[in-house]
Amino acid sequence: MSVRIVTALVAKDLSLFFRNKFFGLITGLGIVAYIVIYFVMPSSVNETLQIGLYAEVVPPAFEQVSEEGIVFETFESEDALIEAVTEGQYASGVALPPDILDLLASGEKPQISIYSAADTPEEVTDAVEVIIRELAYLQAGQPLAVDISVEVLGPDMLGQQIPIRDRMRPLLAVFLVMFEMIGLASLITDEVQQGTGRALLVTPMTVKDLFAAKGLLGVSLAFVQAALFMAVVGGMSSQPLIILTALLLGAVLVTGFAFLIASLSRDMMSALGWGMVILIIFIIPAFGILFPGTVSTWTKIIPSYYLADTVHQASAFGAGWGDVSLNLFILVGFDVAVIWAGIIALGRRFR
Amino acid sequence: MSRDAIVARNLTYRYGSLVAVDHITFSVAEGEIFGFLGPNGAGKSTTVNMLTGQLKPKSGHALLLGLDAVRNTKEVQGKIGVCFEESNLYEQMSAVENLQLFARLFGVRSFNPYPLLRRVSLAGREKDRVETYSKGMKQRLMVARALVNRPKILFLDEPTAGLDPTSAKSIRNLILTVRQQGTTVLLTTHDMMEADELSDRVAFIDHGKIVALDTPHNLKQQYGKRALRVEVSNQTGGLENREVALDTADTPNAIHELFSKEDVVTVHSEEATLGDIFINLTGRGLLAPNTIRRKHAKRRPGR
Repeated sequence: MSVRIVTALVAKDLSLFFRNKFFGLITGLGIVAYIVIYFVMPSSVNETLQIGLYAEVVPPAFEQVSEEGIVFETFESEDALIEAVTEGQYASGVALPPDILDLLASGEKPQISIYSAADTPEEVTDAVEVIIRELAYLQAGQPLAVDISVEVLGPDMLGQQIPIRDRMRPLLAVFLVMFEMIGLASLITDEVQQGTGRALLVTPMTVKDLFAAKGLLGVSLAFVQAALFMAVVGGMSSQPLIILTALLLGAVLVTGFAFLIASLSRDMMSALGWGMVILIIFIIPAFGILFPGTVSTWTKIIPSYYLADTVHQASAFGAGWGDVSLNLFILVGFDVAVIWAGIIALGRRFR
Repeated sequence: MSRDAIVARNLTYRYGSLVAVDHITFSVAEGEIFGFLGPNGAGKSTTVNMLTGQLKPKSGHALLLGLDAVRNTKEVQGKIGVCFEESNLYEQMSAVENLQLFARLFGVRSFNPYPLLRRVSLAGREKDRVETYSKGMKQRLMVARALVNRPKILFLDEPTAGLDPTSAKSIRNLILTVRQQGTTVLLTTHDMMEADELSDRVAFIDHGKIVALDTPHNLKQQYGKRALRVEVSNQTGGLENREVALDTADTPNAIHELFSKEDVVTVHSEEATLGDIFINLTGRGLLAPNTIRRKHAKRRPGR
């Protein structure tokens, strides 16, 4: 591989990339737009309190509750309730004993369990506890002592609730990285379609040089933009090294996918089409972070999950290397597999 | 005696069961312009692709400047220039940027693109984007790009196809200049006049095999008719053609009789064109439909 040749190719591709009005505009305005979107999103939290409820017999007071912002959703078993809270579908869950009505009627202390999600704020858990006591009072008609136990499910992140705009950071970062995938794929497709790749291959340039140049360009464009975005929106105030590592691995991943897309595409439009399909799939895990409970665990089969989750954990909760090491390890695995497949598939078009 | 710049020995290439190039053997001397002629699908491009390292021969060898085109592909490609038939320039870059890019790829130090662009008559438009160029300008730039590394062998694939006479003449002059500087030229063309005008020797290729190889003069001598075509005026004022064979015992009498009895208007030697010779040898013309590149031919029906 020749550094001189790779440098010449990268300079050429960079120049062509920004001369393409569509990608030049998307790249320039895209990053500005995402930063603007981030800053116009609310920085405070205003969530409706959804509480899961398991009770063999639901006391009438619970059915009648209609306070603004409180919604009880019933579950058929305590295990189902715990699973829903663990997955983040509900901030808290309440399990009532089967004989609660008898206990309340006889003036005895019923044992009530409150399950809280890991990132449920302390205030919310306290509020749920107060609501339970109020409902017990409403049911019995007099102040009653109830035994309430609070159990936090998953790693305890009490007091670390995240404003929606900070939840958006992984989504926007993944978007930025993904758009570069489409840009790079289009650039390579153009090279094949216009025959310029053939002209390059009758010079001392090797196919390895070509892949090195395209890879370097793709990784650089995706990584620099996403890193710049995270820096501007304050996403790197904690664990910057972890975030940069995740973004770099994410940039390698999308470069591999760009190779695959280019191997399948005949022109820029088909590159855009394939790119959009992959982009839509890849942003699903990031939506899961933005709207907890809207997607289930199957999203873990999408490679971008490990990018979005690592960025979220590190930037929002200050997760350390130990916490995200599995994510990063899996991301490396995906990188190797996708880059390898991309080089094999695309190489056939250049040989 | 000059040594061979290109040596092809039993070069063979197959696309599946179709034999595109069938044990071709020929050589091109240093400084020679070698015309490679044949219809679409005859095997010209496949042969050139093997010589330039774009395809690996299924059997046989190609030596360029003494180097094996397969084993030393990149070394060979550093010493040759290739001008493709279809424009494959970076359209969003200027002529200067296109040439500078290739100069960097070839490792040409202190490259100045302007003299080269003047030679191909692109002075004044050097910094305009290639997408604004006419077809002729793009073709001239393609030739210039192939010369960036001062190649020892220049491969030209239909360099004047579809160009106006002025642009075509300009490129032909450039080819002759390059040859004068010692560069070997392998010219692939359909244009028999061009091949005749430029080539020291030509090879006719058909169905993957070389069917004739010699200088244009020798081919004409060997395959053309030796005769005079005489135009005479008839009694009604119209013109009639007479043909006088040159290699018979009665030729002097026939000529004498023609000039004494008829009103001779014009006399021409009946010399075969390279196109005639090709048809004579293969039974089909250079523009015949082909089997290998049928789709390609459809895109350019006029060719």
